[in-house]
Formats: sequence, structure tokens, C-alpha cells
Amino acid sequence: MTVPLTCSQRLVNWARVKSPWVTIFNTGACNACDIEIIACLMPRFDVERFGILAKGSPRHADIMIITGHVTLKQASRLRRVWEQIPEPKYVIAMGACGASGGVFHGLYNMVENVDSVIPVDVYVAGCPPRPDEIINAVVTCLNLLKEDIAHGGKEWRQKKAFEFPAKETIAGEVSV
Amino acid sequence: MTKGLMLDFVTDRMKEFGTVEQVRSNRIRIVTTMDKVRDAIKRSQEQLGCDRLITISAADNGRTLELIYHLTGPHRMVISLAIELPRDVPETPTISDIFLSAGVYERQIHDLFGIFFKGNPNLKKIILNEDWPENEYPLRKDWKPDPGKFYGGIKVERI
Repeated sequence: MTVPLTCSQRLVNWARVKSPWVTIFNTGACNACDIEIIACLMPRFDVERFGILAKGSPRHADIMIITGHVTLKQASRLRRVWEQIPEPKYVIAMGACGASGGVFHGLYNMVENVDSVIPVDVYVAGCPPRPDEIINAVVTCLNLLKEDIAHGGKEWRQKKAFEFPAKETIAGEVSV
Repeated sequence: MTKGLMLDFVTDRMKEFGTVEQVRSNRIRIVTTMDKVRDAIKRSQEQLGCDRLITISAADNGRTLELIYHLTGPHRMVISLAIELPRDVPETPTISDIFLSAGVYERQIHDLFGIFFKGNPNLKKIILNEDWPENEYPLRKDWKPDPGKFYGGIKVERI
């Protein structure tokens, strides 16, 4: 089913594909993934030629890169940050820790997988992944974005049987 | 350069608190008990010139809970005051009024080992998440996660 797009929608989609802004969220990583992301942003790999910019605020970002396993303490924060990103949003889970917990698998303080907290679009393998693989993941996200525009939403590739927990089940308010 | 502490000097001043031995060239270990540890720390502060607390380390050896207070000063020697606590009533007086930085270490040890520091004014959670259940101390050797309990984070209902 193709949806006819207006001129302004086509302009917005063009701008989205040409400038994916990323925000980086550390959910308890050992900082090796963060170092690789910083190397990725530096002139040697120069991701700005794809229009990729690192943004401090999730409200300005399209793609969230989460590094590391998700600890119990960070789970509610991660959910809250993810909710602040405007649609369409994409999530990249970085490294072995993001995929399965890595060396922290089965520890008392971690969530079993990232997918139970927020939906993840792209997993990047490696401990830590090389900057090329991070760029590849972002470009994969852009291809997903193009396909989603063609399908008119994300629903076509989401699992039917999976429902995310309602907002009420998020662990209690964070006291200052 | 300041001269390091000699073992005889330390033994002369600290022998009433327990056995004194030199375990490394820069470390002197004093095994004492929990009712004497405050006096021992005050004595080493006044007479051995230990004006700094490096850390408080805790361990579970299966039978008892061990606490080691590592002190140092301008003489660059480390004085390790070791005490043992029973597992059933792990209580010891706080030293956060002597060394202010000890309060944070005591909160961490209370979180992970369940040792109560009597007199610490702010003994609440610092490392574990806010919704971690009470009376669960994950670094104890006999601790196992209870599958019926909710340990915080986000509740997941898998279909």
C-alpha cells in the first residue's frame, strides 16, 4: 500500500534521511563502546559526511545508541529517555553487552535483555564494535527508515505477539 | 621525604588493640575487634599520624563478615585495621563522625553486605536501585535471587 505524500512530507522525509541525529546513552557500559563512538565522530571516520551529528538531548535526536547492559537502576531512566525522543525513532544496541549482557550476563543487578525495556531495531556485534560497524548500523537504520516511510509506519516489521508494558509499570518516580 | 612507620613504633602504640604484623613493606595489619575499632582508629589518627581513610573493604568468608579499614597519612604507610562481625547480628559502630568520607563507604557496604553501622545518620540506598527489596544483600555468599520477588527495574510480562 503506497500512501500519496504531500510536498512538505516529502521534504521532511528527505531531511530525515539526510541528517540522522544520534544521542548516546550509557546504560552501564565499561566505556569501551563510548570510546569507539567518540572515535567514530572524530575526523578520521567523519560521520558528518552522512549528516550524522551527536546530540546531547534526546529531544533533538532520531537515533538512540545505547551502550552496555541495562542495569536495574538504569532501566526506568532508559525508558524515560526513549519516550522523550520524537517519532520516528530508532534504537541501536551496541556491543555484546547490549545484545545479551556479555560478561555481565546473569548478574543480580541487570535486566535480562534490552528488548524488554525498549524496542531495539539494530544490534551491533563486537566487544567493542569498530567505528565502521557503528556507521554501518546507523546506515542500516536509515534504510529501515526509508522502508518504514514506504510502508507508512513501523507496524509491518514488529512482532505481533509482543506488547510493551504500560506506562504504569515503570518503577517508581525518581526522587531527587 | 617523610620517614615510613616502623613496625616496632606501631606495635608499641597499638598492641592493646590486637596483633600487629607487617604484611607488606608499606602495609601494617592490625587484627582487632569491633568494640575496640573506634578507639584504634582514634589512636592511629592521633599517634600514628593517619589523617586519611583510603577505603573500608568488606568481605564474606562464609563464616563471618570481615571489615578492613585502610588508613594512611603523610608517612605513606597503610594501616589496615581488620575486624570480624558475626553473620547473624552484623552491627558495628560507625566511624563517619571521625572520618566524614567513611559515611559513603558505610552506605555502600550496608547496601551490598547488610552490615549495620550504628550511628550513621544517612544509612539509605546508594548503589542498588531504589525499588530493590529490603533484607536482600547480593554480595553475601549465601544469597540467591528469589524468583518470586521483584528486584526493581521494569516489570515484563512475556506472552
